[in-house]
Amino acid sequence: MSRPVSESAPHPLSVASGRPSLWTSGALLAGLLLLYAFLVASAPGDRVQGVIQKILYVHVPCAFAAYLGFAVTGVAGALYLWRGDERFDRAALAGAEVGVLFCTLNILTGPIWARATWGQWWAWDPRLTVTLILWFIYLAYLLLRSFTEGSERGARFAAVYGIVGLAAVPLNYFAIQLFGGAAMHPDNLEGDSLGPGMGWPFAISVLTGMAAFWHLFRLRVDLETRRAALDFAGESGPE
Amino acid sequence: MNVLLAVLWKDLLTEWRSRDRVVAMLVFSLLVVMVFHFSLPGGASAQARENAPGLLWIAYVFAAVLGLNRAFAVELENDALSGIALVPADRGWVFLGKAAANVAVLGVVQAATAFAFGLVFDLDLARVALPLAGVVALGSIGICSVGTLFAAVAVRTRFREVMLPLLLLPLLVPVLSAAVRATASLAQTGEVGFAPVQLLIVTDAIYLIVSFVGFEYVLDE
Repeated sequence: MSRPVSESAPHPLSVASGRPSLWTSGALLAGLLLLYAFLVASAPGDRVQGVIQKILYVHVPCAFAAYLGFAVTGVAGALYLWRGDERFDRAALAGAEVGVLFCTLNILTGPIWARATWGQWWAWDPRLTVTLILWFIYLAYLLLRSFTEGSERGARFAAVYGIVGLAAVPLNYFAIQLFGGAAMHPDNLEGDSLGPGMGWPFAISVLTGMAAFWHLFRLRVDLETRRAALDFAGESGPE
Repeated sequence: MNVLLAVLWKDLLTEWRSRDRVVAMLVFSLLVVMVFHFSLPGGASAQARENAPGLLWIAYVFAAVLGLNRAFAVELENDALSGIALVPADRGWVFLGKAAANVAVLGVVQAATAFAFGLVFDLDLARVALPLAGVVALGSIGICSVGTLFAAVAVRTRFREVMLPLLLLPLLVPVLSAAVRATASLAQTGEVGFAPVQLLIVTDAIYLIVSFVGFEYVLDE
Protein backbone atom coordinates (compact mmCIF):
# COMPACT_ATOMS: atom_id res chain seq x y z
CA MET A 1 0.00 0.00 0.00
CA SER A 2 1.59 3.26 -1.08
CA ARG A 3 0.84 6.46 0.71
CA PRO A 4 1.29 9.92 -0.74
CA VAL A 5 4.47 11.67 0.32
CA SER A 6 3.68 14.97 1.98
CA GLU A 7 5.92 17.61 0.52
CA SER A 8 4.47 20.51 2.44
CA ALA A 9 5.89 19.65 5.85
CA PRO A 10 9.67 19.93 6.08
CA HIS A 11 10.96 18.14 9.12
CA PRO A 12 13.88 19.40 11.13
CA LEU A 13 15.42 15.96 11.00
CA SER A 14 15.57 15.93 7.21
CA VAL A 15 18.34 18.51 7.21
CA ALA A 16 21.58 16.62 6.61
CA SER A 17 23.58 18.88 8.88
CA GLY A 18 25.81 16.05 10.00
CA ARG A 19 27.66 15.64 6.70
CA PRO A 20 30.62 18.03 7.08
CA SER A 21 31.52 16.75 10.53
CA LEU A 22 31.22 13.18 9.27
CA TRP A 23 33.93 14.01 6.75
CA THR A 24 35.97 15.61 9.50
CA SER A 25 35.72 12.62 11.82
CA GLY A 26 36.44 10.28 8.91
CA ALA A 27 39.54 12.21 7.89
CA LEU A 28 40.72 12.38 11.50
CA LEU A 29 40.29 8.62 11.83
CA ALA A 30 42.14 7.94 8.56
CA GLY A 31 45.06 10.14 9.63
CA LEU A 32 45.23 8.52 13.04
CA LEU A 33 45.10 5.05 11.52
CA LEU A 34 48.17 5.81 9.42
CA LEU A 35 50.05 7.10 12.43
CA TYR A 36 48.79 4.13 14.49
CA ALA A 37 49.98 1.56 11.94
CA PHE A 38 53.40 3.20 11.79
CA LEU A 39 53.82 3.48 15.57
CA VAL A 40 52.56 -0.02 16.36
CA ALA A 41 54.79 -1.54 13.67
CA SER A 42 57.84 0.27 15.00
CA ALA A 43 57.04 -0.20 18.71
CA PRO A 44 59.53 -2.42 20.53
CA GLY A 45 58.57 -6.04 21.09
CA ASP A 46 58.05 -7.21 24.66
CA ARG A 47 61.12 -8.78 26.23
CA VAL A 48 59.21 -11.74 27.64
CA GLN A 49 56.03 -12.02 25.55
CA GLY A 50 57.48 -11.16 22.15
CA VAL A 51 55.31 -9.97 19.30
CA ILE A 52 52.02 -11.22 20.81
CA GLN A 53 52.14 -8.33 23.26
CA LYS A 54 51.31 -5.95 20.38
CA ILE A 55 47.72 -7.18 20.60
CA LEU A 56 47.59 -4.69 23.48
CA TYR A 57 47.24 -1.92 20.90
CA VAL A 58 43.96 -3.48 19.70
CA HIS A 59 42.65 -5.09 22.86
CA VAL A 60 42.71 -2.12 25.25
CA PRO A 61 41.40 0.59 22.85
CA CYS A 62 38.49 -1.74 22.02
CA ALA A 63 37.71 -2.10 25.72
CA PHE A 64 37.73 1.67 26.24
CA ALA A 65 35.53 2.23 23.18
CA ALA A 66 33.09 -0.44 24.37
CA TYR A 67 32.80 1.06 27.86
CA LEU A 68 32.31 4.49 26.31
CA GLY A 69 29.54 3.15 24.08
CA PHE A 70 27.70 1.53 26.98
CA ALA A 71 27.99 4.68 29.08
CA VAL A 72 26.57 6.71 26.19
CA THR A 73 23.65 4.26 25.95
CA GLY A 74 22.79 4.55 29.62
CA VAL A 75 23.10 8.33 29.80
CA ALA A 76 21.34 8.98 26.48
CA GLY A 77 18.56 6.58 27.51
CA ALA A 78 18.02 8.51 30.74
CA LEU A 79 17.98 11.80 28.82
CA TYR A 80 15.47 10.33 26.37
CA LEU A 81 13.11 9.35 29.18
CA TRP A 82 13.53 12.78 30.74
CA ARG A 83 13.24 15.01 27.65
CA GLY A 84 11.48 12.72 25.14
CA ASP A 85 13.80 13.91 22.37
CA GLU A 86 14.30 11.19 19.73
CA ARG A 87 17.85 12.31 19.09
CA PHE A 88 18.84 10.92 22.49
CA ASP A 89 17.22 7.61 21.59
CA ARG A 90 19.21 7.42 18.37
CA ALA A 91 22.42 8.17 20.30
CA ALA A 92 21.54 5.40 22.78
CA LEU A 93 21.01 2.88 20.00
CA ALA A 94 24.22 3.89 18.22
CA GLY A 95 26.19 3.72 21.48
CA ALA A 96 24.97 0.18 22.17
CA GLU A 97 25.60 -1.09 18.65
CA VAL A 98 29.08 0.36 18.31
CA GLY A 99 29.82 -0.60 21.93
CA VAL A 100 28.85 -4.24 21.31
CA LEU A 101 31.03 -4.26 18.19
CA PHE A 102 34.08 -3.08 20.13
CA CYS A 103 33.26 -5.32 23.07
CA THR A 104 33.14 -8.30 20.70
CA LEU A 105 36.55 -7.37 19.30
CA ASN A 106 37.85 -7.00 22.85
CA ILE A 107 36.50 -10.41 23.90
CA LEU A 108 37.92 -12.03 20.75
CA THR A 109 41.40 -10.52 21.04
CA GLY A 110 41.65 -11.25 24.78
CA PRO A 111 41.78 -15.09 24.57
CA ILE A 112 44.41 -14.97 21.81
CA TRP A 113 46.65 -12.97 24.11
CA ALA A 114 45.70 -14.97 27.19
CA ARG A 115 46.53 -18.28 25.55
CA ALA A 116 50.02 -17.02 24.81
CA THR A 117 50.75 -15.39 28.17
CA TRP A 118 48.48 -16.93 30.81
CA GLY A 119 48.49 -20.36 29.18
CA GLN A 120 44.72 -20.66 28.87
CA TRP A 121 42.09 -19.26 26.52
CA TRP A 122 39.67 -18.18 29.15
CA ALA A 123 40.46 -17.41 32.80
CA TRP A 124 37.51 -16.24 34.89
CA ASP A 125 39.41 -13.12 35.84
CA PRO A 126 37.22 -10.34 37.35
CA ARG A 127 37.70 -7.80 34.59
CA LEU A 128 37.09 -10.44 31.94
CA THR A 129 33.92 -11.62 33.67
CA VAL A 130 32.51 -8.12 34.05
CA THR A 131 33.16 -7.42 30.36
CA LEU A 132 31.46 -10.67 29.38
CA ILE A 133 28.37 -9.81 31.48
CA LEU A 134 28.30 -6.32 29.92
CA TRP A 135 28.46 -7.91 26.49
CA PHE A 136 25.44 -10.07 27.32
CA ILE A 137 23.52 -7.11 28.74
CA TYR A 138 23.97 -4.94 25.68
CA LEU A 139 23.38 -7.85 23.32
CA ALA A 140 20.05 -8.30 25.09
CA TYR A 141 19.50 -4.55 24.69
CA LEU A 142 19.95 -4.84 20.91
CA LEU A 143 17.67 -7.90 20.78
CA LEU A 144 15.05 -6.00 22.74
CA ARG A 145 15.23 -3.19 20.21
CA SER A 146 14.93 -5.54 17.27
CA PHE A 147 11.96 -7.33 18.86
CA THR A 148 10.09 -4.05 19.31
CA GLU A 149 10.77 -2.76 15.80
CA GLY A 150 11.68 0.83 16.33
CA SER A 151 8.42 1.90 17.94
CA GLU A 152 8.26 4.68 20.53
CA ARG A 153 7.39 2.00 23.09
CA GLY A 154 10.48 0.06 22.12
CA ALA A 155 12.61 3.15 22.65
CA ARG A 156 11.20 3.55 26.17
CA PHE A 157 11.73 -0.13 26.99
CA ALA A 158 15.28 0.00 25.73
CA ALA A 159 16.05 3.18 27.68
CA VAL A 160 14.88 1.57 30.93
CA TYR A 161 16.94 -1.54 30.20
CA GLY A 162 20.00 0.52 29.34
CA ILE A 163 19.76 2.36 32.66
CA VAL A 164 19.30 -0.82 34.71
CA GLY A 165 22.19 -2.35 32.77
CA LEU A 166 24.40 0.54 33.77
CA ALA A 167 23.29 0.22 37.41
CA ALA A 168 24.24 -3.46 37.27
CA VAL A 169 27.87 -2.69 36.40
CA PRO A 170 29.13 -1.75 39.89
CA LEU A 171 27.06 -4.56 41.43
CA ASN A 172 28.62 -7.11 39.10
CA TYR A 173 32.03 -5.71 39.77
CA PHE A 174 31.45 -5.91 43.52
CA ALA A 175 30.10 -9.46 43.27
CA ILE A 176 33.03 -10.67 41.25
CA GLN A 177 35.56 -8.95 43.49
CA LEU A 178 33.93 -10.75 46.39
CA PHE A 179 33.66 -14.25 44.92
CA GLY A 180 35.53 -14.28 41.64
CA GLY A 181 38.80 -15.90 40.75
CA ALA A 182 42.22 -14.35 41.08
CA ALA A 183 42.84 -11.16 39.11
CA MET A 184 45.12 -11.78 36.17
CA HIS A 185 44.83 -8.49 34.34
CA PRO A 186 47.55 -5.99 35.25
CA ASP A 187 46.33 -3.50 37.82
CA ASN A 188 47.22 -0.25 36.13
CA LEU A 189 48.15 0.78 32.69
CA GLU A 190 49.30 4.24 33.66
CA GLY A 191 52.11 3.04 35.88
CA ASP A 192 55.05 0.82 35.11
CA SER A 193 53.29 -1.99 33.27
CA LEU A 194 54.25 -0.51 29.88
CA GLY A 195 57.85 -0.96 28.80
CA PRO A 196 60.06 1.86 27.46
CA GLY A 197 59.04 3.00 23.99
CA MET A 198 55.50 1.66 24.37
CA GLY A 199 53.96 4.83 25.79
CA TRP A 200 53.37 6.72 22.54
CA PRO A 201 52.12 3.77 20.51
CA PHE A 202 49.71 2.99 23.33
CA ALA A 203 48.49 6.59 23.67
CA ILE A 204 47.92 6.89 19.91
CA SER A 205 46.17 3.52 19.77
CA VAL A 206 43.75 4.63 22.50
CA LEU A 207 43.19 7.88 20.62
CA THR A 208 42.62 5.96 17.38
CA GLY A 209 40.14 3.71 19.17
CA MET A 210 38.23 6.77 20.40
CA ALA A 211 38.28 8.29 16.88
CA ALA A 212 37.02 5.02 15.41
CA PHE A 213 34.27 4.93 18.00
CA TRP A 214 33.31 8.52 17.31
CA HIS A 215 33.23 8.08 13.54
CA LEU A 216 31.20 4.85 13.62
CA PHE A 217 28.91 6.38 16.22
CA ARG A 218 28.31 9.42 14.00
CA LEU A 219 27.67 7.22 10.96
CA ARG A 220 25.16 5.15 12.92
CA VAL A 221 23.35 8.21 14.27
CA ASP A 222 23.30 9.71 10.78
CA LEU A 223 21.79 6.53 9.35
CA GLU A 224 19.12 6.45 12.06
CA THR A 225 18.34 10.15 11.50
CA ARG A 226 17.84 9.52 7.79
CA ARG A 227 15.62 6.56 8.52
CA ALA A 228 13.50 8.67 10.87
CA ALA A 229 13.25 11.42 8.23
CA LEU A 230 12.18 8.84 5.67
CA ASP A 231 9.55 7.40 8.00
CA PHE A 232 8.29 10.90 8.65
CA ALA A 233 8.08 11.65 4.94
CA GLY A 234 6.26 8.37 4.37
CA GLU A 235 3.50 9.20 6.81
CA SER A 236 0.42 10.73 5.27
CA GLY A 237 -0.30 13.43 7.80
CA PRO A 238 -2.72 13.06 10.73
CA GLU A 239 -4.48 9.72 10.87
CA MET B 1 0.27 2.37 49.45
CA ASN B 2 -3.40 1.48 48.95
CA VAL B 3 -2.60 0.78 45.32
CA LEU B 4 0.15 -1.62 46.38
CA LEU B 5 -2.21 -3.54 48.65
CA ALA B 6 -4.99 -3.54 46.06
CA VAL B 7 -2.75 -4.94 43.33
CA LEU B 8 -1.23 -7.48 45.71
CA TRP B 9 -4.68 -8.62 46.89
CA LYS B 10 -6.00 -8.84 43.32
CA ASP B 11 -3.04 -10.93 42.16
CA LEU B 12 -3.09 -13.27 45.12
CA LEU B 13 -6.88 -13.70 44.86
CA THR B 14 -6.78 -14.54 41.14
CA GLU B 15 -3.88 -16.90 41.84
CA TRP B 16 -5.79 -18.57 44.66
CA ARG B 17 -8.89 -19.01 42.51
CA SER B 18 -7.11 -20.67 39.61
CA ARG B 19 -3.81 -21.83 41.15
CA ASP B 20 -2.57 -22.33 37.56
CA ARG B 21 0.63 -20.43 37.88
CA VAL B 22 1.83 -21.81 41.20
CA VAL B 23 1.08 -25.41 40.18
CA ALA B 24 2.88 -25.01 36.85
CA MET B 25 5.90 -23.45 38.55
CA LEU B 26 5.98 -26.11 41.24
CA VAL B 27 5.75 -29.05 38.84
CA PHE B 28 8.38 -27.45 36.64
CA SER B 29 10.85 -26.87 39.43
CA LEU B 30 10.37 -30.40 40.78
CA LEU B 31 11.05 -31.65 37.27
CA VAL B 32 14.24 -29.61 37.23
CA VAL B 33 15.29 -31.28 40.49
CA MET B 34 14.60 -34.66 38.96
CA VAL B 35 16.53 -33.81 35.80
CA PHE B 36 19.48 -32.69 37.88
CA HIS B 37 19.40 -35.96 39.74
CA PHE B 38 19.65 -37.92 36.51
CA SER B 39 22.14 -35.65 34.80
CA LEU B 40 24.56 -35.81 37.74
CA PRO B 41 26.05 -39.22 38.36
CA GLY B 42 26.34 -40.26 41.97
CA GLY B 43 22.96 -39.18 43.34
CA ALA B 44 23.35 -38.04 46.93
CA SER B 45 27.14 -38.09 46.91
CA ALA B 46 29.36 -35.54 48.64
CA GLN B 47 30.05 -33.92 45.27
CA ALA B 48 26.35 -33.59 44.55
CA ARG B 49 25.78 -32.06 48.00
CA GLU B 50 28.44 -29.51 47.22
CA ASN B 51 26.74 -28.59 43.96
CA ALA B 52 23.25 -28.61 45.45
CA PRO B 53 23.05 -24.88 46.42
CA GLY B 54 23.88 -23.81 42.87
CA LEU B 55 21.41 -26.28 41.41
CA LEU B 56 18.75 -25.15 43.87
CA TRP B 57 19.09 -21.56 42.70
CA ILE B 58 19.04 -22.56 39.05
CA ALA B 59 15.74 -24.31 39.71
CA TYR B 60 14.49 -21.17 41.51
CA VAL B 61 15.45 -18.87 38.65
CA PHE B 62 13.87 -21.11 36.00
CA ALA B 63 10.66 -21.32 38.02
CA ALA B 64 10.70 -17.56 38.59
CA VAL B 65 11.10 -16.81 34.87
CA LEU B 66 8.18 -19.12 34.14
CA GLY B 67 5.97 -17.40 36.71
CA LEU B 68 7.06 -13.85 35.86
CA ASN B 69 6.14 -14.39 32.22
CA ARG B 70 2.61 -15.25 33.31
CA ALA B 71 2.35 -12.31 35.71
CA PHE B 72 1.73 -9.84 32.90
CA ALA B 73 0.39 -12.24 30.29
CA VAL B 74 -2.85 -12.39 32.33
CA GLU B 75 -3.06 -8.60 32.22
CA LEU B 76 -3.17 -8.62 28.41
CA GLU B 77 -6.63 -10.22 28.44
CA ASN B 78 -9.35 -7.62 28.04
CA ASP B 79 -6.58 -5.04 27.91
CA ALA B 80 -6.34 -5.00 31.69
CA LEU B 81 -2.87 -3.50 31.43
CA SER B 82 -4.32 -0.25 30.13
CA GLY B 83 -6.62 -0.17 33.14
CA ILE B 84 -3.65 -0.61 35.43
CA ALA B 85 -1.81 2.19 33.60
CA LEU B 86 -4.71 4.54 34.45
CA VAL B 87 -4.30 4.11 38.21
CA PRO B 88 -4.54 7.53 39.89
CA ALA B 89 -1.26 7.16 41.74
CA ASP B 90 2.43 6.67 41.11
CA ARG B 91 2.79 3.55 38.97
CA GLY B 92 5.68 2.50 41.13
CA TRP B 93 3.11 1.29 43.67
CA VAL B 94 1.56 -0.93 41.03
CA PHE B 95 5.03 -2.33 40.44
CA LEU B 96 5.54 -3.01 44.14
CA GLY B 97 2.16 -4.75 44.37
CA LYS B 98 2.94 -6.94 41.39
CA ALA B 99 6.45 -7.68 42.66
CA ALA B 100 5.16 -8.57 46.13
CA ALA B 101 2.65 -11.00 44.63
CA ASN B 102 5.43 -12.57 42.56
CA VAL B 103 7.63 -12.95 45.64
CA ALA B 104 4.75 -14.60 47.51
CA VAL B 105 3.93 -17.06 44.72
CA LEU B 106 7.60 -17.83 44.18
CA GLY B 107 8.03 -18.34 47.93
CA VAL B 108 5.51 -21.20 47.98
CA VAL B 109 7.34 -22.89 45.11
CA GLN B 110 10.73 -22.30 46.72
CA ALA B 111 9.71 -23.86 50.03
CA ALA B 112 8.41 -27.02 48.34
CA THR B 113 11.46 -27.24 46.06
CA ALA B 114 13.86 -26.85 48.97
CA PHE B 115 12.04 -29.68 50.76
CA ALA B 116 12.39 -31.92 47.71
CA PHE B 117 16.03 -30.93 47.33
CA GLY B 118 16.77 -31.82 50.94
CA LEU B 119 15.28 -35.27 50.39
CA VAL B 120 16.93 -36.02 47.06
CA PHE B 121 20.40 -34.73 47.89
CA ASP B 122 20.30 -35.78 51.54
CA LEU B 123 20.75 -32.24 52.86
CA ASP B 124 19.63 -31.34 56.36
CA LEU B 125 18.06 -27.99 55.57
CA ALA B 126 15.54 -28.09 58.43
CA ARG B 127 18.11 -27.09 61.05
CA VAL B 128 18.91 -23.88 59.12
CA ALA B 129 15.36 -23.27 57.95
CA LEU B 130 15.03 -19.78 59.38
CA PRO B 131 18.27 -18.16 58.12
CA LEU B 132 17.83 -20.04 54.84
CA ALA B 133 14.35 -18.54 54.47
CA GLY B 134 15.88 -15.11 54.98
CA VAL B 135 18.52 -15.65 52.30
CA VAL B 136 15.93 -17.08 49.91
CA ALA B 137 13.63 -14.11 50.56
CA LEU B 138 16.44 -11.64 49.82
CA GLY B 139 17.29 -13.52 46.63
CA SER B 140 13.63 -13.58 45.60
CA ILE B 141 13.29 -9.84 46.09
CA GLY B 142 16.27 -9.31 43.80
CA ILE B 143 14.88 -11.67 41.16
CA CYS B 144 11.32 -10.34 41.32
CA SER B 145 12.27 -6.62 41.33
CA VAL B 146 13.95 -6.45 37.92
CA GLY B 147 11.97 -9.56 36.95
CA THR B 148 8.62 -7.81 37.37
CA LEU B 149 9.86 -4.70 35.59
CA PHE B 150 11.12 -6.59 32.55
CA ALA B 151 8.23 -9.05 32.53
CA ALA B 152 6.06 -6.01 31.82
CA VAL B 153 8.46 -5.16 28.98
CA ALA B 154 8.89 -8.67 27.58
CA VAL B 155 5.18 -9.41 27.40
CA ARG B 156 4.78 -6.70 24.78
CA THR B 157 7.70 -7.68 22.54
CA ARG B 158 7.57 -10.07 19.59
CA PHE B 159 9.00 -13.19 21.26
CA ARG B 160 7.47 -12.69 24.70
CA GLU B 161 8.60 -15.76 26.62
CA VAL B 162 12.02 -15.79 24.99
CA MET B 163 12.78 -12.17 25.75
CA LEU B 164 12.51 -12.27 29.55
CA PRO B 165 15.39 -14.66 30.39
CA LEU B 166 17.64 -12.88 27.87
CA LEU B 167 17.01 -9.58 29.59
CA LEU B 168 16.98 -10.92 33.11
CA LEU B 169 19.81 -13.42 33.51
CA PRO B 170 22.77 -11.07 32.95
CA LEU B 171 21.27 -8.69 35.52
CA LEU B 172 20.87 -11.46 38.09
CA VAL B 173 24.56 -12.39 38.31
CA PRO B 174 25.12 -10.43 41.55
CA VAL B 175 21.94 -11.81 43.14
CA LEU B 176 22.69 -15.40 42.19
CA SER B 177 26.36 -15.38 43.10
CA ALA B 178 25.60 -13.94 46.53
CA ALA B 179 22.57 -16.17 47.16
CA VAL B 180 24.40 -19.35 46.13
CA ARG B 181 27.36 -18.47 48.37
CA ALA B 182 25.11 -17.76 51.33
CA THR B 183 23.07 -20.93 50.79
CA ALA B 184 26.19 -23.05 50.45
CA SER B 185 27.72 -21.76 53.65
CA LEU B 186 24.41 -22.30 55.48
CA ALA B 187 24.13 -25.87 54.20
CA GLN B 188 27.71 -26.70 55.11
CA THR B 189 28.43 -24.82 58.33
CA GLY B 190 25.01 -23.66 59.46
CA GLU B 191 26.23 -20.07 59.46
CA VAL B 192 26.37 -17.33 56.91
CA GLY B 193 28.94 -14.57 56.53
CA PHE B 194 28.03 -10.92 56.24
CA ALA B 195 29.53 -10.29 52.78
CA PRO B 196 27.01 -12.18 50.62
CA VAL B 197 24.07 -10.93 52.71
CA GLN B 198 25.33 -7.38 52.36
CA LEU B 199 25.62 -7.77 48.59
CA LEU B 200 22.09 -9.18 48.45
CA ILE B 201 20.71 -6.25 50.45
CA VAL B 202 22.54 -3.62 48.38
CA THR B 203 21.51 -5.24 45.09
CA ASP B 204 17.88 -5.57 46.22
CA ALA B 205 17.78 -1.93 47.25
CA ILE B 206 19.25 -0.65 43.97
CA TYR B 207 17.09 -2.90 41.80
CA LEU B 208 13.95 -2.01 43.75
CA ILE B 209 14.61 1.71 43.38
CA VAL B 210 15.41 1.68 39.65
CA SER B 211 12.47 -0.64 38.98
CA PHE B 212 10.09 1.54 41.02
CA VAL B 213 11.12 4.58 38.97
CA GLY B 214 11.48 2.71 35.67
CA PHE B 215 8.02 1.13 35.83
CA GLU B 216 6.55 4.54 35.11
CA TYR B 217 7.96 4.28 31.58
CA VAL B 218 7.10 0.70 30.67
CA LEU B 219 3.32 1.10 30.81
CA ASP B 220 1.64 2.87 27.91
CA GLU B 221 -0.31 6.07 28.30
